[in-house]
Amino acid sequence: MEQVAAAAVTGTVQRMDEAALIRAAQKGDERAFEALVRLYDQNVLRLAYNLLRSAEDANDVYQEAYLRVYRNLHAFRFDCSFQTWLYRIVTNLCLDALRRRKVRKEESGTVETADGALDRMVSIEEERAHGDPQRELLSNELRERIGEALQALTPRERMVFELRHYHGMRLRAIGESLGTSEEAAKNCLFRATQKMRAALGDFV
Amino acid sequence: MRCDEARRLMPLYGYGELAPADEERFEAHLHDCNACQRALDGQSRLNQWLDDVALAPPEGMLTASRVELRSRLAGEPRPGGFRAWVRDTFWFRVGAAPLWMQGAAALVLVAAGFFGGRGFGPSEAGLAVGSEVRYVQPQNSGRVQVVVYETHERVFTGTLQDEPIRRLLVSATREVSNPALRVQSVELLKNDCRSGEIRSALINALQHDPDPGVRLEALDGLKEFAAEPQVRNVFSHVLLGDSSPGVRMQVIRVLLQQRQEDEMVGVFQELMRREPDVYVRQQCTRALQAMNASAEEY
Repeated sequence: MEQVAAAAVTGTVQRMDEAALIRAAQKGDERAFEALVRLYDQNVLRLAYNLLRSAEDANDVYQEAYLRVYRNLHAFRFDCSFQTWLYRIVTNLCLDALRRRKVRKEESGTVETADGALDRMVSIEEERAHGDPQRELLSNELRERIGEALQALTPRERMVFELRHYHGMRLRAIGESLGTSEEAAKNCLFRATQKMRAALGDFV
Repeated sequence: MRCDEARRLMPLYGYGELAPADEERFEAHLHDCNACQRALDGQSRLNQWLDDVALAPPEGMLTASRVELRSRLAGEPRPGGFRAWVRDTFWFRVGAAPLWMQGAAALVLVAAGFFGGRGFGPSEAGLAVGSEVRYVQPQNSGRVQVVVYETHERVFTGTLQDEPIRRLLVSATREVSNPALRVQSVELLKNDCRSGEIRSALINALQHDPDPGVRLEALDGLKEFAAEPQVRNVFSHVLLGDSSPGVRMQVIRVLLQQRQEDEMVGVFQELMRREPDVYVRQQCTRALQAMNASAEEY
């Protein structure tokens, strides 16, 4: 325990074995828990932010996910990887949030930035198309269409796509995180890409 | 392989998710099929565009989220099954939060500012964290005047006998967003309860603090004044109204030590009437038996 604490203080804790961190955190070592949080929290926040497109909502998911991890870590028995367990919590929270939005029809397609609410696609760096009017026109239209295509996906399709495309997770791990099979995750990914190709047919 | 099967496998091929045998068959088909080759090129372009529209969380958001999490964890009871149950139910003192949680206290406002006020503009401009742009005034020369409010840290050092220190600690017992800070402040103040101001702060914490750890610390500080009618009256209300079995259990112990039996029998009997927690009921029953009072007829 002392070693874990000392390592956390000196910053070498990141190189520690993940399982050792989990065990130390399970015994109440708060610094080991913090190191455990930092192993994946950047990806957790990115996933929630990309899916929910709102800093507040993404932060809510971040907070709730790690509070649940804290409250239930003592019951973690290494039946699956910690990352899979964590993503199961995060994806469930994100899916709940996405479903609530669908029900309330609050999906605005906007993203909050320092300058206020902007359309997700418009918020992408403008300089790529800057100086080339024809390309800029195409770029803006493409962004809108991609945004619409992403919004047209079901929450589960969106989640599978997000985890596979942006987080590089294997479909087997995605299936485990979502409490489904690899085959079901494959089908989800296939449907998602088909829908996007159909929506973007003119461009692809 | 037919084209329809190739199209179905195409997304999986792009993500390297095909089994080796399927991958080989897919590539053999691709070699002979220009239409599927074009479709694969289109898939690659789509993936590239999707990469381009990925969003990264705003600068500073991760730090703010971590700070808020630390603060929230500081208010969490330590989990752990039976051990946690024993501690939550029977522990007399709740230890102060770990150092890394306490260190987060001063940063909580930063997190609140980030999510409450969209405060990442100043940090992007290289200003101190916690800064806030309040006025923007164009000037005739073409220049712009920007007025920034900045939050500065001040350090006070002294003993509990120093008035400014006492006032700051009393103020910290009401810091709603930071239970770790409240626990620590109450823990310090409880050692010097002779001051009426401090005693009032502890009574307030015992009656109204949402965190049972803070309430237990306040109770610990007030126990030596349990003989005073005002304090004992507060204890009676806490005993009958506090949501935490651990706090109720501890109040029973403190009251029993005062030997004000006649006065307390009625309170304990009322507690028996409404108490849902089996361990608190057992403790209360033992207390009534020790007073030769009935735990049944009330």
